[in-house]
Amino acid sequence: MAVDQTTITQLEGTPVQYEGGLARPAQSYWSESWERLRGSHFGMFFGGVLVVLAVIAITAPLFSAFVTHLAPTSVNLNDSFAPFSRAHPLGTDELGRDTLTRLVYGARVSLGVGFLTVAIYLLIGGSVGISAGFYGGWWDDLLMRFVDILLAIPTIYLLIMITSMLPLPIGPIIIRHDAFSLSTIIAITVWGTVARLVRGEVLTVKNRDFILATRSIGASNLRLMLRHLLPNVLPVMIVAASLGVGQIILLEAALDFIGLGVQPPTASWGNMLLNAQSYFYHSTSLVILPGICIVLAVLSANIFGNAVRDAFDPRLK
Amino acid sequence: MSTEAPARPKLTKAWTAAEPILEVRGLKTYFPVTAGMLQRTVAHVRAVDGVDLTVRQGETLGLVGESGCGKSTLGRSILRLVEPTEGQVIFKGEDLTRLGAAEMRRVRRDMAMIFQDPYASLDPRQTVGEIIGEPLDIHHLYTNKRQRQERIHELLRVVGLNPNFNNRYPHEFSGGQRQRIGIARALAVDPSFIVCDEPISALDVSIQAQIINLLERLQDQFNLTYLFIAHDLSVVKHISDRIAVMYLGKVVELAAAGELYRSPKHPYTGSLLSAIPIPDPKVERGRQRIILKGDVPSPVNPPSGCRFRTRCFKAQDKCAQEVPPLDTVDGHEAACFFPLQGDER
Repeated sequence: MAVDQTTITQLEGTPVQYEGGLARPAQSYWSESWERLRGSHFGMFFGGVLVVLAVIAITAPLFSAFVTHLAPTSVNLNDSFAPFSRAHPLGTDELGRDTLTRLVYGARVSLGVGFLTVAIYLLIGGSVGISAGFYGGWWDDLLMRFVDILLAIPTIYLLIMITSMLPLPIGPIIIRHDAFSLSTIIAITVWGTVARLVRGEVLTVKNRDFILATRSIGASNLRLMLRHLLPNVLPVMIVAASLGVGQIILLEAALDFIGLGVQPPTASWGNMLLNAQSYFYHSTSLVILPGICIVLAVLSANIFGNAVRDAFDPRLK
Repeated sequence: MSTEAPARPKLTKAWTAAEPILEVRGLKTYFPVTAGMLQRTVAHVRAVDGVDLTVRQGETLGLVGESGCGKSTLGRSILRLVEPTEGQVIFKGEDLTRLGAAEMRRVRRDMAMIFQDPYASLDPRQTVGEIIGEPLDIHHLYTNKRQRQERIHELLRVVGLNPNFNNRYPHEFSGGQRQRIGIARALAVDPSFIVCDEPISALDVSIQAQIINLLERLQDQFNLTYLFIAHDLSVVKHISDRIAVMYLGKVVELAAAGELYRSPKHPYTGSLLSAIPIPDPKVERGRQRIILKGDVPSPVNPPSGCRFRTRCFKAQDKCAQEVPPLDTVDGHEAACFFPLQGDER
C-alpha cells in the first residue's frame, strides 16, 4: 500500500466521514492522577512539609554559613550544653556544637537516604520483577527463589550483619558508613517486596492483546519491557514507593541509633539521639529535638505517601 | 505535502506475484500440558495439528470454525506470535519458521494483524499517535518528525478517524473507533498481508458493517491480502473469496465462498451451514437442521482417524481407522471419505 499524493486526493475527493467528535480534552492517566492528588489538601500539606524539609536539607551549607554562622562540627568546649539563645537558637550539645546546625545537616542524611534508597530499590525491584515476569521459566524461578530467601531473613538483622562488616574494601573502593553506601545497602535488603509486586502485575499485563499486537509490528523484547510493561506497572511501583520513604527514614535512624549507621562527627538525627541519651537528665532538648525531626519527616512522608497511593492506584478509582 | 511511501522490505528470495503469497505446510502448534512439582510435560494440546493452506496474492481467505478449533492459534502461528511446533510457513518464498528473531522483525514490516478485542489490543498508556507511530519508529521509516506526524494523520484519515485525535487515549473512544485505530496501526508499516483475527466479533452489529466495508475498501486501495478469521458465517461469506473450515486443529474443507455455501462436501460444513438462521419464520420452521451429537472432543486427545467421526451422522468404521486426506471433490478440497451428496444438504 502506498499512501501517496494520489490516494490522499482520492480520499479527500470523496467526502470522508470522520467518526465521532469529542468535546473533552485528552487526559492521560498521569494528569488524571495528579488532579486527584492535588484534590487531597491534607496530603498536599504534608507533601509541602516534605518539600520544605528537602529544601532545608539541600541548602544546609548555606544555612550554616549565613544563618547560624557555625559549622555542624565546630566544637566549643566553653559553650557546652548552652541553653536556647540568639547565638544558638536550639542550644548546644556536650561539645558545644550548635544543635540547629546539626539538625539541618541531619536532614540531609535522613531525607537523602530516604529518597535515594527508594530510588535504588525501585530500580532493582522493577528490573527484576519485569524481567522475571516477562521471560518466565527458569529465569523467573531463579529470581523469585532468591527473593523468597531475601524476604525470609528479617531486614534489620540483615542490615546489622552487613553494616557491622563496614568499612569493607571491595577492590579499589572502600565501602564506609556514608549516606550513599547506606542507601545502597538498605536498598539491597528491601527490594524483594517490590520485585514480587511488579512481577505479579507484569503477569497480568503481558497476557493482554496489546503486548501481542506490539510484537506483531516487530517490537523487540527490550522495547516491550520498557515502553509497554514499565508504563503499565509504574502505578504499582509508585504505590509501593509511596510508603517506602517514611519506612526507610525510620530504618536509617534506627541503624544510626545502634551505632551502625552514619558515624560521628557527621550529624544525623539517629546518631544525635544515640549521643544525647547519655545526657538525658542534663539536657532533655538534645533528645527531644532530633526525635521531633524524625517524627515530622516520617509522618509527612507517610501521609503524603498515602495520598499518592490513593491518587495513583488504579484499583482505588 | 505527500510523505513518501516507505520502500518495500527486501526479500532474500525472489518472489513473483504469480506465486501464492503465503503457503502453510503441515503446520502444527502444540501447547504442553504440565503437571506436578517439576512441571513435567504430561500431554499436549494439539491446537493446530497439520494444516496446509495456500493464500493467493490479493484474495481474502476466510477461516471459520467453532470456538477452540485452533483458528486463532493458526493465525498467530503464521505470524510467529506463537511458535509453531512443526511445519513451514512460506511467506513470499521465505520460510518464516527458520528465521532468527532479528530477521523475523524485518519480515514483520510486510505482515500485520488486526485483533478481536479492540479494548485489550491497544496499550492504555499510549496516545493514538504513539500507537500508530510505533511501527514507524520500530522500522525507522521516518527520521523527520514532521513527515512522521503527517503519516500518522494520513493513516487516521484513511481509516476514517479525525486526524486531530492523535493525542487522545484509547479509553476515550468507542469500540468501533478503537478497531479503526487498530487497523491504522496494522496499515502503518505498509504490509501486503494482514491476519484479521475476528476483527468484528467484539463489535456492535451496526458497527460491524462499517468495519467490514472499511476493510474491503482498504483491500482495494492498497492491494492487501487477508486471512480473515471469524465464526460468523454470513460475514465470512460476504468478505471472502475462498473459505477454509477448521475442526479440532485441522482444515476439513476449502472451497470458493459461493461454492462452499451452495454445496458443502464435508458433513461438518453441512451442519455449520444448517445452523445459520434464515430471517423468514416460515422457511425457518419448515427446514431441516443437522443437529450434531455431543461436544467437541478434547484437543489433548483427539479421536483416531477422522476427528469429526465421533459426531458425524455419516461415520463408518473406515473413519476411525484412517485419517481422510484433504482431497479434491467436485472442485472442493474436503477431508472426508463419504462427502455429502446433492440431496443431503
